[in-house]
Amino acid sequence: MKNKIILWAIIAVVVIGSIFGIVKLASKSQTPDLNNLAITVSAINDNENVKGDKEALATLIEYSDFQCPACGSYYPILKKVSEELGAKVKFAYRHFPLPQHKNAKLAATVAEAAGKQGKFWEMHDLIFQNQSDWSEEKNVAVLFAKYAQDIGLDLARFQTDIASDEIKTKIENDYKSGVKAGVNSTPSFFLNGKKMDNPRNYDEFKNSIEQALGQSN
Amino acid sequence: MTNLKILLNKLLGSPTKKALTIGLFSFLGLMDASYLAAKHYTGTIPPCAIVKGCEAVTTSQYAVVGGISVALLGAIYYLAVLIISIAIIDTKSVRLKKFLAGFSIIGLLASIWFISLQLFVIKALCLYCLVSAFSSTAIFLTAFFLGKDIHRPLHDGI
Repeated sequence: MKNKIILWAIIAVVVIGSIFGIVKLASKSQTPDLNNLAITVSAINDNENVKGDKEALATLIEYSDFQCPACGSYYPILKKVSEELGAKVKFAYRHFPLPQHKNAKLAATVAEAAGKQGKFWEMHDLIFQNQSDWSEEKNVAVLFAKYAQDIGLDLARFQTDIASDEIKTKIENDYKSGVKAGVNSTPSFFLNGKKMDNPRNYDEFKNSIEQALGQSN
Repeated sequence: MTNLKILLNKLLGSPTKKALTIGLFSFLGLMDASYLAAKHYTGTIPPCAIVKGCEAVTTSQYAVVGGISVALLGAIYYLAVLIISIAIIDTKSVRLKKFLAGFSIIGLLASIWFISLQLFVIKALCLYCLVSAFSSTAIFLTAFFLGKDIHRPLHDGI
């Protein structure tokens, strides 16, 4: 009987210890990519969608895909970052629609078309908030037209802009600049030109931004 | 077919050896599933990658059932199998052997379902999920023969 108890105890210790070890291994943040230091990203130009104080010393650039679930999960975190830290950091959104997301490119086009009427961020918010509604939708253009109506866009102009080459080129240029900067997944973040290991939450963004500000002072 | 069955049964050895094999495979499955579950709950939000792979699978809508990560459900399943297999080594209980033979079908069916999803719906394969499918299949096969041992002991007719 005593031997049995010892056997079970040993097994329990081994199993619990192994689970503990593997959980620890899994929760460790990814080892920083050594290439990160070498990767830089193109600076923000006047044509881009930027939020926050234009004179802010810190610059956060996101390469994102409207249909990517991870980008959808980051949306509320980034909204908080721009709301709470808008005076310290300017935030730019760049398009990186992935080929496996069939509605992502149209979503990017729709957001840019809204941007033509000064409402990029309103459309950006609506698209992310309703990500699960339109992601797998076949007739997605109808839904997007409804969003355009909801935020009070001139629908005729909106439809013309969606078809424009200018927007198409802008999205392509965003994508190309991402590839050049080594983006291979979304979302990817660049703080003051350097690629970040994706922060896990608002506090990690805040710490990184404050650290960057400390360095620039 | 019968010859293959006999050969497999012989290879797997005595009931204790079979239970030990099941224990080892469930331990492998438990570690694999715990790693994925921990990634799901504590790691960074898995990004969407250009090259489809594990991210595509673990971020898909099929990775969660009723708000619970399927990896966590898998870990619970493997832990249960591990405990039962050790209990079989300990007690040699016939009822437990029979129960495990039935219980292991859950793992086999779940694996078939997840591999089909990966092949035909998500169209991406995740190595961790393949490891899990391999261990549940091995558990099922071994448990099947272990369940049979009750009626036809190893030395009988072989």
